Amino acid sequence: MTATETITTTRDATAIDLPWNVVVHDDPVNLMGYVTLVLMKVLGYPEQQAMALMMEVHQAGKSVVWSGQRERAEFHAHQLQAHQLKTTLEKSR
Amino acid sequence: MPTLDGGLRIEFEDESDWRLLGGVIDDAVSCDRTLAERLGASVGGPEVADDWLEFVVPELERSFEAGLARVGRALKSARLDAAGVAGFLWIRRADALHWYGALNQARLTLEEIHRFGSSEDVDVEDLPPSRRAPFLRSQFYCAVQSLLLEHAMG
Repeated sequence: MTATETITTTRDATAIDLPWNVVVHDDPVNLMGYVTLVLMKVLGYPEQQAMALMMEVHQAGKSVVWSGQRERAEFHAHQLQAHQLKTTLEKSR
Repeated sequence: MPTLDGGLRIEFEDESDWRLLGGVIDDAVSCDRTLAERLGASVGGPEVADDWLEFVVPELERSFEAGLARVGRALKSARLDAAGVAGFLWIRRADALHWYGALNQARLTLEEIHRFGSSEDVDVEDLPPSRRAPFLRSQFYCAVQSLLLEHAMG
């Protein structure tokens, strides 16, 4: 009779999770002052930073307004859409 | 007209003024797809979109509908007080965001339907009648929004 031996091996793999970008897009309806106000309220940015991002949205058509963990990005995107800003989520490359 | 407590007072001269601002509710819901659906449809790739449509869009829809209902009630009440003729509508500072949101829903929906683009590029005289009235309503809503931003939301 032969003894049976079970060998268990475990392997750990660690990878850096890529951040998610929250992107606000330009539209012909939302007023610039409102977009600035919403970025301040939802993301807690100071007025100057919010205005700079708003100008990027206006001039470039879109701006990454926040980047980080997926769950948090989804929360911010939800809040921005609740304020009627056209907002998308995309994984950083 | 700004008020002392940081709100806004809108003066109505006659029935047509009430009808004009009252159009905000009808305009906001005049598109086949709701604003929440339109915002949700383009949120991102398939990794995000399915959950978004299932969980976030219904919540946004409820929130947008509640905002419109609140503004609709305020309009109806003010119109009754004025017996449909000359009168005032008071927008308290605490309600300014709801009003702004309702006007925005209407403007976003009119834009979705008519694709006016930037108002600076639109010549009203060149618009056919079927597009001219909605454009002018959108411009009127925008003027009220600007007043709200300037006097009641800063």
